[in-house]
Amino acid sequence: MFEWWTKYEFMRNAVLAGALVGGMCSVLGVFVVQRGLAFLGEGLAHAAFGGVALGLLLDIGNRFHLEWFGPVWVAVPFCVVVAMAIGWVRNRGIATEGTAVGIFFSVSVALGILFVFIREKPSGDLESYLFGSLLAVRRVDVWVSAGLATIILGILAVTWTKMAYVTFDRELAKLSGINVEGLDYLLLGMMACVIVLSVKTVGVILVSSYLIIPAATSRLMGGSLFAMTIRAVVVGAVGSTVGLVFSYYINVPSGATVILTLAAAFIVTLALRGGAALAGHSH
Amino acid sequence: MSASPRIHPSGETILELENVGIELGGRRILRDISFKVLRGEFLCLVGPNGAGKSTLLKAVLGLLQPTEGRVMVLGKPPGKSPGAVGYVPQRKSFDRTFPATSLELVVANLRGSWPVMITKKEREQAMAALVRTKAEKLADRQLFALSGGETQRVFLARALVTSPQLIVLDEPAAGVDIRGRDDLYDLLHVISQDDYLAAVMVTHSLMALSRTAEKVAYIDGTLQAFGLPSELLGHGKLAALLGGHTEDGDG
Repeated sequence: MFEWWTKYEFMRNAVLAGALVGGMCSVLGVFVVQRGLAFLGEGLAHAAFGGVALGLLLDIGNRFHLEWFGPVWVAVPFCVVVAMAIGWVRNRGIATEGTAVGIFFSVSVALGILFVFIREKPSGDLESYLFGSLLAVRRVDVWVSAGLATIILGILAVTWTKMAYVTFDRELAKLSGINVEGLDYLLLGMMACVIVLSVKTVGVILVSSYLIIPAATSRLMGGSLFAMTIRAVVVGAVGSTVGLVFSYYINVPSGATVILTLAAAFIVTLALRGGAALAGHSH
Repeated sequence: MSASPRIHPSGETILELENVGIELGGRRILRDISFKVLRGEFLCLVGPNGAGKSTLLKAVLGLLQPTEGRVMVLGKPPGKSPGAVGYVPQRKSFDRTFPATSLELVVANLRGSWPVMITKKEREQAMAALVRTKAEKLADRQLFALSGGETQRVFLARALVTSPQLIVLDEPAAGVDIRGRDDLYDLLHVISQDDYLAAVMVTHSLMALSRTAEKVAYIDGTLQAFGLPSELLGHGKLAALLGGHTEDGDG
């Protein structure tokens, strides 16, 4: 039953990296869900497509014989820049967040398509970034995910209580002396990094639901924001592991099985707890 | 209505506005506003919609800078004395679906960050504030399960927990039913008297005015009138404004 773990290194890599990015997406996902930033997550995922396409075009790893330098290393800064630009446009009052995301999202995708076209190579590897692929995850990705998870946990250890307060009410948080805009940029930056790293496992098209579904599932269970966060991490990490193992056995793209597994968790939770939760909210 | 006698305000100035003018996005909202609020004094800010009342509150809270003049809270620019100013926002302006209990909300203001674990001492302090607003039974309830009046009593406890010297309220009874509104105004009157607080409240309601106000400022772009409620009720514009908003005004 555990041959996928004992026999195949690619499965160990995929599952470890998947659980790590799934957990991280879920921690940030609680803020995304409570602040209503689902569209922002979607936009950053599409920015990741532009970044990955640029990474594939530049092909720095092969050109300079750097085995570890995958397209992700180009996609991360690309996506972070897009995230900061969205935050800047919104905070300056130049456009609403929805408009800012809408613009940067389509520009990134357009650039991505252009980069793919210029590259003139078969786009098999690109497909694995669009839909997620178990085979795409290498040992180095596990280490990078573990490193990023450590950094994000470190940042959140210091800022979580403040980010939670801002999530509740920006004005009240500001009045308590919290640097609301600074924390906004920090959250955007972390979202961009986590989304890019999740792309190998679940793919560009589905990555934003990685942010949404575990947090939304956990929210159905009630309790405090902190309890919601801890449970979301468990849902994200376990759901991603179960989904990846399914994808191995039935041999379909990993992104689809991970997201469908998470969606199943959401539906089961809704069936078990939803009645009570909905009764509470209808008030 | 509470029967407690009104203590005469002391001479100490808690809030002072000097020739305050505010422009937002190139549009002039307020011009040449000057008044003082003394310790123990309850000021109601009234005026038509779009008169700049909420904008003025934002300047008092330090959320925006006046274009001209200055605002001083306890002799300092606003925002420099956190904890000394308690704020009760309009009910509609916060997220009621946020998973939070009343107690967490109150402790968040005590700490300046959202609580993960609440210490015994924090719980005691928060409970003391909730008792004062008759909301102690709501401590462990989720915010989404509270009625309008209950929500505002919890937000009032939240504002009081840091023992402020100035309390700022933006139409606190908007969206609260008539009984809840009644209780809220009584509480505001009693607490501001007992704690000898300076208070500034934006309101549209004659009931609020008669229950709480020691002073009234009528604002419509500029300060049109300032004085005792008894003096100002004779002011034609004010009477007309509040006439249309008597008992159910606050919305």
